[in-house]
Amino acid sequence: MMDMDPQMAAALQTFFEESRDLLQDMESALLFMEEQGADLERINAVFRAAHTIKGSAGLFGLEEVVRFTHRLENLLDQIRSGTKTLSPGNITLLLSCGDHINDYLDRLVSATPLDQHFLSEDLRLLAALQSALGENSSATDPSLTEPSLTVYDDVESRTEFIHEVSSDAPVKSAANWHISLRFGQDTFRDGMDPLSFLRYLQQIGEITGLVTLTDALPALSMMDAETCYLGFEIAFRSVADKASILDVFDFVKDNSIIHVLPAHGQIAAYLKMIQQLPEGDQHLGEILVAVGSLTPEELQKALALQEGSDQTGQHLPLGEILVEQKMVQEPVVQGALEKQQQQRESKNAERQLLRVRAHDLDHLVDLVGELVIASAANRLFAGREDLESRLESSSQVARLVEEIRDGALRLRMIDVAELFQRFPRVVRDTARTLNKDIRLEISGEGTELDKSMAEKISDPLMHLVRNAMDHGIEPAEQRLAAGKPAQGSIILHARHDSGGIVIEVSDDGGGLNREKIRRKALEKGLISADQLLTDPEIYALIFAPGFSTADTISDISGRGVGMDVVRQNIESVRGRIDIDSTPGRGTTMRIHLPLTLSIIDGFLVRLAQDTYVIPAEAVEECLEYPQTVGSVGYMELRDQPLPLLDLSAVFKKAELSETRRNVVVVRHGMERIGVVVSGILGNQQTVIKPLGKLFERVPGVSAATILGNGDVAPILDIPTLIQRHYAISAKSALVH
Amino acid sequence: MEMIAVGGASTEPRSRSGQYLIVQLQGEAFGLDITDVREIIAYMVPTQIPMMPDFVVGVINLRGQVVPVIDMARRFGRPATQIHKRSCIIILDLQDGHSRQRLGVVVDAVNEVLEFGTEQVEPAPQFGAGLRTEFIRGMGKVEGNFMILLEMGRVLSLEEMSALSAIAAEDGTIGTADYGV
Repeated sequence: MMDMDPQMAAALQTFFEESRDLLQDMESALLFMEEQGADLERINAVFRAAHTIKGSAGLFGLEEVVRFTHRLENLLDQIRSGTKTLSPGNITLLLSCGDHINDYLDRLVSATPLDQHFLSEDLRLLAALQSALGENSSATDPSLTEPSLTVYDDVESRTEFIHEVSSDAPVKSAANWHISLRFGQDTFRDGMDPLSFLRYLQQIGEITGLVTLTDALPALSMMDAETCYLGFEIAFRSVADKASILDVFDFVKDNSIIHVLPAHGQIAAYLKMIQQLPEGDQHLGEILVAVGSLTPEELQKALALQEGSDQTGQHLPLGEILVEQKMVQEPVVQGALEKQQQQRESKNAERQLLRVRAHDLDHLVDLVGELVIASAANRLFAGREDLESRLESSSQVARLVEEIRDGALRLRMIDVAELFQRFPRVVRDTARTLNKDIRLEISGEGTELDKSMAEKISDPLMHLVRNAMDHGIEPAEQRLAAGKPAQGSIILHARHDSGGIVIEVSDDGGGLNREKIRRKALEKGLISADQLLTDPEIYALIFAPGFSTADTISDISGRGVGMDVVRQNIESVRGRIDIDSTPGRGTTMRIHLPLTLSIIDGFLVRLAQDTYVIPAEAVEECLEYPQTVGSVGYMELRDQPLPLLDLSAVFKKAELSETRRNVVVVRHGMERIGVVVSGILGNQQTVIKPLGKLFERVPGVSAATILGNGDVAPILDIPTLIQRHYAISAKSALVH
Repeated sequence: MEMIAVGGASTEPRSRSGQYLIVQLQGEAFGLDITDVREIIAYMVPTQIPMMPDFVVGVINLRGQVVPVIDMARRFGRPATQIHKRSCIIILDLQDGHSRQRLGVVVDAVNEVLEFGTEQVEPAPQFGAGLRTEFIRGMGKVEGNFMILLEMGRVLSLEEMSALSAIAAEDGTIGTADYGV
């Protein structure tokens, strides 16, 4: 990508993130309207999204995006003004346009060149936009056709002005504006370049006059090179309305003084502006004349007026002046003020969300983890001293710490709705490809899960949904024959369940075919012919590598690589998946996930003097080590052989001398082994500490934790231990 | 605006002059670049991580962070360091690619911090130091004697150590981890 300084790169990163959010909003709004019919609020939302992307892209000089979104905006504008309808064709076109912009941004981020495929799509969409605009291309720019809308936009705008809606508005051709800019001192430090704003300004009109104000520049010795002292007075000619011009400066509006006035317009407005700007009145007035926004006569009049008001010693609020001078009707002003108030409030609500660096958050969660450990130790010692007041205060601290822990973990949580938001589009597009009529129902929004978990689970979920649509839901004729509605439905549901989260993907299709799965599994040698299997065991076979029951391999799924990857991904975040299926009625895939990735329920075991942690979810039961067992490596558990894994042997420690030993039965998937340990220490909430690169190739240990007494204890990686068990026993069988 | 160069790989030989922390290891003094040293702590018994090569003593809890501890003597192919009253662990922050890795090394004692000018440091000898040449940044001259200034980025190269760990995990020949503590 292009060379840029770190602040610019950071700003660009923000632009990418924001644009993706906006494109997502746009898509959701379009899909909603496709379902429920068009409404103005959502059309406006789509328009605003496109507009903001265009504006920001212009700041970064991303010409392709500006050019493309500009065309897109034209169509949206016409839809907004009612010249065009939001036909299904247009919705599809707009969705494709959103994808295209997204594609472009992706390429930019990954520095992938724009290939032939991209360019042909670009041309295709531009042509489609052109033809969608086609029949009515001579219509005037709608943003300038409605006087009422113009008033509205002005009031929404953030400057203190309500500019004149004079009798000669609406203006059909390009209008002259005067723009007065005083960039905030921190402009450079915020990663902005005043020049890029001016450059962008030129995209929506023509700069006919410009004077750079250097009055604020201090003496050279006093000057701070990173502070922005510049101001500009600009005469500007454009068809854009005031709001669009103000939008150009959206990124700096908070810290800068920005005035946009119609040239040769209301003197009072100029007057007020002159009063608000830091430079001397007379000097500024001359500049205004110099850039051509005011005539000398107008200036004289303005200054005279100002003197008059200074003498009376009071400044009338602008609204009142305007009403007094019969420029706007009172109810309009009233309504406008209320609207302005609402706008401010909603803006405040938006500000209540903060963007936080993920790293900072992780650090906080880490510290809270420490606090949990320290507080446990504190309680331990208080208990030993047996001082009631101390015990009491330490349990109060412990309670608060737990609350802080929950609060800190919640910061990492996102609403499951965020995870689900890509699915309406996926279902829509997949249904079209499959030529099936399928409806998606989403429920359980408000359920929260860890953000990194959401990221890991997103693809498996996608696969499950596609799979359900492809293999689950029958073709319409078959559904009608079975007495079901022709439209199939997929339900995505999330809920909390006993300290974890459950996400369900259900379809009302034909259900899993027991016999077909069994046959296939036999064919692939996954099971033997005489094996008796329960329904869940048979269903679980579809997660075996290379298993696919689809008769034909389609684009959507059925390549047979999917389901085992789905299971692996889910297990990598310590989740599991099970299947519920009723023939003829449908299938439900249920994903169980832990609440968080950083704290687990640990089961503490002792091996000689060392403590190890086994994730409690893997533990099925604990047994006494049977005295009778030889060195066979098996013991009997309810008439079944249970393979034993002696940790001391695996870890190459001296053989355990204790006569009393314990067996912890652990399970992973369908396999189960008994881990032989010296003793059992019980359950404890365990904060997971990564072990770092040095230990990443150590099998059998996944991470570490810190115990209440400050010692470090390794956390055992049960799946790997089980896998290795067979390898090791095979090897030792050869040796002995 | 100024572009800030983000640190190069640790294996890049840095300027040899500068301040060195002089440590005692089995009767021999070594110099560690002071800029790598984060802190010095009293010896605490590390928790062993199974199936690691013998130079990885284990991990310690450094104010909530799990930090691996290395026995440098073992890493040099010498007998294990015996722990006694003055033993301590030096915590180092080493650049590894783009991240910094925190590691501890066990030493018998910490002596002092010495400043070496460019003229006081000789290049590493090809042999005779009893160490792999790449581990040596240079030979520091102190009162007519030479002491080895270590290239800790190489001595504690994560890439190499983690490769050795993988081998250790596969067969038991390297690690018979019964540490005399």
